[in-house]
Amino acid sequence: MDVAETISHHILDHDWGVVLGGFRIPITTHSVTIFCVSVLLLLTLAWAARAHKSHAGKLISVLMEEYVSFIRGGIVLPNMGEEGRGMLPYFCTLFLFILCVNLAGMIPEMKTATSNISVTAALALCSGALIIGSGLKFHGLVGFLKGFVPSGTPGWLVPLIFPLEVISLVIKVCVLAIRLFANMLSGHMVLICLLLIIFIIGEMSKFFGVVSMFPAMLLEIFMTCLELLVAFLQAYVFTLLTAIFAGSVIHTH
Amino acid sequence: MEDLLKPDFGVLALTVCNFLLLVYLLKKFAWGPIIGALEKRENQIATDKQTAAQARQSAENLKKELDDRLAQISNEATQKMAQAVKAGEAQKEQLLKQAQEQATRLLEQAKAQIEAEKNKALADVRSEVATLSVLAASRVMEREVKDGAADQIVDQVLKEIKGK
Repeated sequence: MDVAETISHHILDHDWGVVLGGFRIPITTHSVTIFCVSVLLLLTLAWAARAHKSHAGKLISVLMEEYVSFIRGGIVLPNMGEEGRGMLPYFCTLFLFILCVNLAGMIPEMKTATSNISVTAALALCSGALIIGSGLKFHGLVGFLKGFVPSGTPGWLVPLIFPLEVISLVIKVCVLAIRLFANMLSGHMVLICLLLIIFIIGEMSKFFGVVSMFPAMLLEIFMTCLELLVAFLQAYVFTLLTAIFAGSVIHTH
Repeated sequence: MEDLLKPDFGVLALTVCNFLLLVYLLKKFAWGPIIGALEKRENQIATDKQTAAQARQSAENLKKELDDRLAQISNEATQKMAQAVKAGEAQKEQLLKQAQEQATRLLEQAKAQIEAEKNKALADVRSEVATLSVLAASRVMEREVKDGAADQIVDQVLKEIKGK
């Protein structure tokens, strides 16, 4: 097994090969991770929303209220205005879901599902649907389509601008998926590469392999801390950009 | 490595379903109650702030009213004090005038009394002179003195009168 194969093996999704009635059921390591994170989030948050009597319940309730205030006051309302108030549950779920899936990869034997392009594409599709849905809800079909053409654009430029703006929106949604995927993938690739350095050098010389272990482990710790930061940062960026794009559709030129 | 960029549509569809279901369930069981409680508390705080602002406004109005009333009372007191001072001044003037009149009257009375006393004294003197004159005349008559002795008697009588 060469280095590339080793890295791919640790990062790629593994299908468990469940077939039901001739149809493949996509039970993979990433989908199982996502399911586990979802169940954990659902149980924890549903408990936190009701457990006000115990000290722990009060603490978690206060934390959750602070979290909701942060998403509402820091992301949704500044970018979408009062129109975004109804979409607050989506953004609260989006941030926490991406964060937990990102962090799940830091737990041994679990995978970072957001390093899978299919997962990030699914999240981007949901956000894209929200963006388009917001435009349709607040402006109607005609108003939404008119929003693609900036006011004051000369008539002869409309056929050029309109497709460009539509493509721009599609690219924005695609970029959401690619940014999250690339950031989470690259972090884990770096972590694996740093570990592999020890074995590659150890194959050449056992002494240098042992010596290289110390700087490699220090870098590994540093990169792990960086990964933790990136996990929070990417969850925030994905949520913020979704709110900004939805806000730009709601409050057109 | 190229498998990294190969999308798995099964996982994609499953993730979309999973995520949307999670959004729905969390909205119903978690975010709904949390956002509801948060907004309820925020509304309560806003109401409390509004009530406090109203109470403050009414307290300020009351303070202003009391200040105005105090100023009015102070003004009235000043006016009354000025009136009292003025009345006192008038009374003082009146008393002075009365005292002056009384003094003048007393002076007049005293002058009249003195005049009367003087007149009375003069009358007494005249009476005495007449008595003495009669006495002198009687002595003259008694002694049957010569012309020179009579002059001496008259001079003596006059000296006595002056001596008195």
